[in-house]
Amino acid sequence: FRNTPKQYMCVEMLQDGYHRSFSELFTLLSFDLEQRANAPPRSPRLQEPSLGEQREKLETIRLHLCRAEKAERDGSWTIVCEERLHLGRYFTHPMDIWLSFHFYHSCADRVFGGRSKSATEARFHLAELYRQQGDLVEARDHAERALKQAEDGGWLDSEGQPLRLWGCRELGEIYSLLGEAYLAAQEYDTATMLLQLGSKMAIEGGGDKSVEAESFFREGMGLQSSGDHQAAMKLFNTCVELFGYLQDVKGLVKSYKAIAKSLESEGNIEECIKMLEKAADLCHSSDLQERLADISLTLGCIYSDVNRPLKSCEYFLQSYKAACTAREVVLQHKAQVKLGHTSAHSLIKSYNSEMETPSLTSVKRLVDWKETRGHQDFC
Amino acid sequence: MASGCTGPHGHLSRLFLSLLLGVLRPAVHYVEGRTLLLHRTVSSLCSNADHQQADWVGVHERICQMLVSIRSMKDIYDPAVRKRNQLRKTHLIKICKLVAQSKLSEGKHEEALHAAHCCLQTSIDLYGPNTIQLVPAYILLAEANMGLGNLAVVAELLSQAEWAVLKNPELGASVQQQLHRSLGHYHTSVGNLEIALHHFSNDIYFACEEYGLDSSATTKGYFLIADVFARQGRTAIVHSLYSEVAERWHNHLNSLLETHQQHADSSVSFYEKAQRVEMEEMLRVILEFEQKQSRRDAALIALIAHNLAMLWFINGDLHKAQDFGSTALQASLQIPKHKLTEPIQELLQQVESLQTEPQPGSD
Repeated sequence: FRNTPKQYMCVEMLQDGYHRSFSELFTLLSFDLEQRANAPPRSPRLQEPSLGEQREKLETIRLHLCRAEKAERDGSWTIVCEERLHLGRYFTHPMDIWLSFHFYHSCADRVFGGRSKSATEARFHLAELYRQQGDLVEARDHAERALKQAEDGGWLDSEGQPLRLWGCRELGEIYSLLGEAYLAAQEYDTATMLLQLGSKMAIEGGGDKSVEAESFFREGMGLQSSGDHQAAMKLFNTCVELFGYLQDVKGLVKSYKAIAKSLESEGNIEECIKMLEKAADLCHSSDLQERLADISLTLGCIYSDVNRPLKSCEYFLQSYKAACTAREVVLQHKAQVKLGHTSAHSLIKSYNSEMETPSLTSVKRLVDWKETRGHQDFC
Repeated sequence: MASGCTGPHGHLSRLFLSLLLGVLRPAVHYVEGRTLLLHRTVSSLCSNADHQQADWVGVHERICQMLVSIRSMKDIYDPAVRKRNQLRKTHLIKICKLVAQSKLSEGKHEEALHAAHCCLQTSIDLYGPNTIQLVPAYILLAEANMGLGNLAVVAELLSQAEWAVLKNPELGASVQQQLHRSLGHYHTSVGNLEIALHHFSNDIYFACEEYGLDSSATTKGYFLIADVFARQGRTAIVHSLYSEVAERWHNHLNSLLETHQQHADSSVSFYEKAQRVEMEEMLRVILEFEQKQSRRDAALIALIAHNLAMLWFINGDLHKAQDFGSTALQASLQIPKHKLTEPIQELLQQVESLQTEPQPGSD
C-alpha cells in the first residue's frame, strides 16, 4: 500500500497506542485542508504543500505529541507542557503561525500544569504573536497574566536572567503600541498613561537601551500631541543622550526634529532652526538622503514663514536634490511645488505694486518684464 | 418449477419459461435446476428470521421474481432487457447485503452465510471475477465465515479482496475501512497481534476519513484495537482507549436521553437497535475490564456505569438502569465533588419515579 505521509503517520501513532495524539493531529490536518479549500486562488497559503504532505513536520508533531501523551498518562504535567512548548517554537514559517498558536494555547491553557514555567513561557510567546498580528488587546491580556505567573514562579530563562524581565519588555512594547493607537484616536489622556507605562516597563525589562530610547521617544510624541512641550522636550533630550550613546544616527535625527517641532510650537524659531540645521548636517555626514530631504523641506517651510525666501529656496532645492537621490517621489514633488511657489512669489514681489495699481504704465511695465524676463536665474 | 412464486408476474415468467423451453431444450434442466437452487436459498434466508416486519415476505416475493426473471432472460440480446436485468441484479445484491449484515449483527452467522454467498455470486455475475466491486461481497462472506470459525476460508477471501484493492488504490475510504477491519478481526483470531494492530489502525484512519473523527465507526474501531492491546497486556493503553470510548458514548447517550425524554417512545429503527445492542456489549466488556484492575479508576467506572444506566433507561429496562445507576453513584461518590454525581442522582430519581408509577396494562 503506497501511503501518504498523513496516513503513514496516523497509522504509526495508532499502532503505538497514542490515540489522543492521533485525534489532535487528525483535527489539525482537517483544519488545514478546510483553510486551503476556503483560500482564494493563488493565495500564498496554496503555494505551500498541505500539512499532510510535509513529512518532516508531521514527524516532529508525532514525536512530541506522543511524548506529551505518555507524560499525560504518567501524570507528569511539566513534561506535557515542555513538549507542547517545543512544538509551538518549532513552527516559525509565516504560513504555520496558526500551528504555533494552537500549540502555545494547548500548553498555556491547561488546567493541570498551566502555571508551570513552560506554560508561562508559552503565554509570553502568545503575547508576542498576538502583538505581531496586531491584536493588542489579546497581547496585553496574555502578557499581564504571564508576567504575574513569572513573578510568582521566580524562574530564570536560558541565559540566567529572571523570566519576568521578558514579561516587562514585552508589556512595555505592547503598552507603547497601544498608546500610539490611542494617540492616533486623539484620546490623549489614555495615550499618555499607556505610553508612560510602556517606558516604565521598558526600563524595568532592563538592559536594552534602544528599547528604552524608543519608549521614551513614543512617550515624548504623546506629550507633544497633547501639548505638554516642556515635558516632551525633556524626554527628547534624554533620547538624544541614549541615541548618541548607541550611535543611532536615525534616532538622533528624529529626536532633533521632534525637539525642533516643540520649539516651533512654543515660538522659539531661532532654536528650532538651529536644531533642524544640526539634524540636516547629521543627515549630510551620514548620507541619510531621505531624512535630509524631509528635514530640508521643513527648514525651507520655516524660512519661508519668517520671510527669508532666499534661504528658503536654498533648502527647498537641497530637499529636491536629496529626494531625487533617495528616489522619494512624494518628497520630490513636494519640494518642487514649494520651490516653484516660493521663487515665483519672490520674483513677483518687486512687481507687486505694479499689479495693484491699475494704470497704463503699470501694465506696460509688466508686459516689458514678461518679454525681457526669459529664464532668469535669480540668486 | 417456480412453484413458490405467486404474485402478478408469476404467470408471465412461467409463460416465458415455457417459450424458452421450446427454444433451448438442452438448457432447460440447467435453468430449472438453478432456479430451484436459488429459490431454496431464498426460502432458507427467510425461514428462521423473526419476522416482525411484514415486508420480509414482500422481499421474498421480489427476490423470487427477480431470480426467475434474471435466470430465464439470461440469453436475451435486447439491450433494454439486459439493462433491466442489470438493475435487477444490482438490486438483488443490495438486498442480499442488507440481509447478510443484519444476520451478522444478530450473530446468526450460518444464515448470513447464505445471503453473503448469493451476494457474491450475483456480483461476479454482474461485474465479472476479480473486480473491485466484489470487495464488499468478499468482506461480507469473510465476516460470516469468521463467525463460524472457518479461518482458512476467511484468509482466502480476504487475500482476494486485498489483491483487488492493491490493484485499485483509488478505492474509496469506506471499503478500505471495512477491509482493514475484517483483516484486523482475522489476524486477532489467529494471534498475529502486531499485524492486527496495523490493520485496526488503518481501520480507524479510514473511518475518520469517511465518517469523521466523532463517528460511531471510529469509536468502535477504538474499542476493537483496545482488545488487541489487552491481549498484549498493555493495560495503560487499553485504559486510555476505554476512557476515550466511554467519553464519546457519554456525549452520545446524553443527547439520546434528552430526546427520549422529550419524545417518549418514538419508534426505534432496526439499525439504531442493533447499534445499541453493540454499544451495551462493548460497555459491559469495558466495565468488566476496569473493575478487574488493581488500581481502580473510580471516575471511569462511574462514567461507564452511568452510560449503561442511561442506555437501559432508554431501552425501557428500569431494573437494569437502577442497578447500573447505583454502581455509578457508588463510584462517583468516591471522588469529592465529582461532576457526574448530580446527573446520576437525577437519573436514579427518574427511574424510581417510573417504577412506582402504575404501569399501563399491568397488575
